[in-house]
Amino acid sequence: MDFQEKYLSRGQLIWRAFLKHKLGVGALVVLIVLYLMALFADFLSPYNPAEQSLRHTYSPPTKVYRTYKGQRTKPYVLPSMSYVDKITYERTYKEMLFPRRLVIEKADGTRMTYELGKDGVESFKFSVNRVESIKVNGQWYDVKKSPAITDYFLFNYNENVLNKGVSRFETTSAVAQEMFFKTYKDRFGLTSEYDVEAVAVTEILDSIVIKKDGKFEMIKGKVVDYDYKTYPIKWFIKSWTGKLLWLFPSKLHLFGVDNYDNNQFVKFYIMGADLFGRDVFSRIVFASRISLSIGLIGVFITIAFALVFGGISGYYGGLVDEAFMRFAEIIMSIPGFYLMIMLRAVLPLDLPSTQIYLLIVFILSFIGWAGTSRVIRGLVLSIREREFVEAAVAIGLSNWKVLTRHVLPNTTTYLIVNATLRIPGYILGEAGLSFLGLGIREPQASWGLMLAQAQDVYVITRASWLLIPGVFIFVTVLAFNFVGDALRDALDPRSLG
Amino acid sequence: MLKYIARRLIIAIPELLIISFMVFMIMEAAPGDFLDQYKLDPSMSKETLEAMRKELGLDQHPLVRYFKWLSGAVRGNFGYSFYYRRPVSKLIWERVAATLTLSLTSLAGSWILGVALGTFAALKKYSLADKILTVFAFSFIAVPSFFLGLLLLYLAARTGWFPIGGMISIDHNTMTTWQRFKDLLWHMTLPATALTLGSMAGLMRYMRGSLLDVLNEDYVTFARAKGMPERIVVFKHAMRNAINPMITFLGFSISGILGGSLFIENIFAWPGMGRLIYQALIQKDLYLVITSGLISAVLLVVGNLVADILLALVDPRVRLT
Repeated sequence: MDFQEKYLSRGQLIWRAFLKHKLGVGALVVLIVLYLMALFADFLSPYNPAEQSLRHTYSPPTKVYRTYKGQRTKPYVLPSMSYVDKITYERTYKEMLFPRRLVIEKADGTRMTYELGKDGVESFKFSVNRVESIKVNGQWYDVKKSPAITDYFLFNYNENVLNKGVSRFETTSAVAQEMFFKTYKDRFGLTSEYDVEAVAVTEILDSIVIKKDGKFEMIKGKVVDYDYKTYPIKWFIKSWTGKLLWLFPSKLHLFGVDNYDNNQFVKFYIMGADLFGRDVFSRIVFASRISLSIGLIGVFITIAFALVFGGISGYYGGLVDEAFMRFAEIIMSIPGFYLMIMLRAVLPLDLPSTQIYLLIVFILSFIGWAGTSRVIRGLVLSIREREFVEAAVAIGLSNWKVLTRHVLPNTTTYLIVNATLRIPGYILGEAGLSFLGLGIREPQASWGLMLAQAQDVYVITRASWLLIPGVFIFVTVLAFNFVGDALRDALDPRSLG
Repeated sequence: MLKYIARRLIIAIPELLIISFMVFMIMEAAPGDFLDQYKLDPSMSKETLEAMRKELGLDQHPLVRYFKWLSGAVRGNFGYSFYYRRPVSKLIWERVAATLTLSLTSLAGSWILGVALGTFAALKKYSLADKILTVFAFSFIAVPSFFLGLLLLYLAARTGWFPIGGMISIDHNTMTTWQRFKDLLWHMTLPATALTLGSMAGLMRYMRGSLLDVLNEDYVTFARAKGMPERIVVFKHAMRNAINPMITFLGFSISGILGGSLFIENIFAWPGMGRLIYQALIQKDLYLVITSGLISAVLLVVGNLVADILLALVDPRVRLT
């Protein structure tokens, strides 16, 4: 016999038995991390979960760079936007190049260096001549010329404008062929869109406009060297105003991108963005508050219900017992999710989010109590016959005291295990209702509601990161199951040694 | 036995009446009715709405309507759907076939696989195979069915191996019978897989636990002690008793046949009952809701009865009286 066993309290014994379960311990750690995430949601989220950015609709997870011009640097991101190509009509995500330092060789051979913020340089603008041309019968024809003023270029698209002075983009895409055929069929006497053999856009750098000390200066010349803006990723950054623990307004967030010149194209989405350009990660973090708390509160109410109903009907028996248990059976006989949808659907659909939250907690607990209360009743029936209860009755305690002080505490072991194993049901219940549009409403977030956005095939193929909330549901439910399993073993008197 | 079945069926009648009345009262107690969705429509005048109300019978007292529906229902007329403007029985009949194809396939699949794998895991307990199966089962218990559906949908969209929704192809009508069957099977693969995996995992765990319990019983030790071949001990003695709690479970799952696939039907655009009932509930399509409620109740009663009869057939200790 291990000498420790004599000196360990029951709590210590249970804890020791629990620690033997590797999976259970791991799952407990996961749960603690998840609940901390919910608690410090404002601190963890780089963006306000409701903040929209329509330039970033379905933006993929932002790429983090660690090298700049071949040299290792601190991690940074580049501005990006959803870009519809004017020639191919394809929508893609392009990263952008905003120059911050230019070395220009003028026509007379002199070199000048301009850097934003130095020598009074305030901004750069580039005047670019844009020429559209089409290829007919092997011959290129310029069809449209237009000047444009821009302050950025697109990576892998027209960045050559800056380092070569000219960028050329050629395509044979069907959309481009069709569009140019429609516009120019009369001018070139084209008969089918295949006559347009290719389409090209050439952009030529005309001049650079530099704002210096409030005055504009126009420079013609060749850019021989340049640096572009990068936006570093930093820990503990100040950005949007959140409320730490619902109470203290705080601008401090765990991580984020240092957007020093308020560039609206700069975003750091570690899990992509949704239809409205909202940060999926921030929304997942905030949604965890709803998804994780609903299980706890729901189970708490269920157990309260079950204790009252099961305790009373087991302790008093007779007609009360009969009535309570028949009622419980009716509720148990209706398939859970159906009962839930039915209860939800017959109540008004357009409630504010807080009321919906309460309503769902209520519905979930209402469905859950019946099964638990039956088991409690069974336990109470057997505990009632034990000697210590008889003793308590014999010394003249009131029924209520016997029940609450001596009978019900003996059901705790069962209740704890039951609660952990039941919580996943509540989380899934809320997720399901929200997925069907009957639960939490926009702009509030819950994991189920976030998945509802991914119901469309076209959306999933374009933005598969919208499936991530499902992974969170999965992990949470799995963790609760493992913890419940380990607890069941740990609380089993036979395992305490 | 026949007497027992007859008695159970007679008891079922008041039960069904109470359930249909309850569903009706819940629908009545809820704020608003079917016409609410038209109230905001500017093209609907007040007079039109009033006329519609009269036509649909919504101006009558709820009790009057309930008994009208009931007297019709007894004669096989379950009223008209407000939304579809068609007899409820026809609507449901069309959908029942689709749902039954899907849910019976997955029910059969999950039971066969669940019981087989559960038995296997119990016989090889604590082996590597058992551990893998345990992890597998826990994962599928934890995956919400709609997420599993979405993942499979993503797979279908990405690879193009499977259709992304619906029950039949556009050119279904021009196909030969064999092609039609293949077409249906092809459309059914993903939704049926999603449903099967979800429920199989639970059944497997259940079967494993229950078989392990039985294998510890004295009569199993006794059978082994007297030298009975292991195969007979397991499959004749232990399995028969281990399957007992599973059969009660089967009774419950029969009642879920019609509605259980709601999410999967939604995701894969499967034209089944789940979606019909869900939409009817949202639109407060009264008679459609009560009738489908009645059907689920009938299934519940039948399911429990089937489970009890099976139990008596399988477990020699159970006697029906």
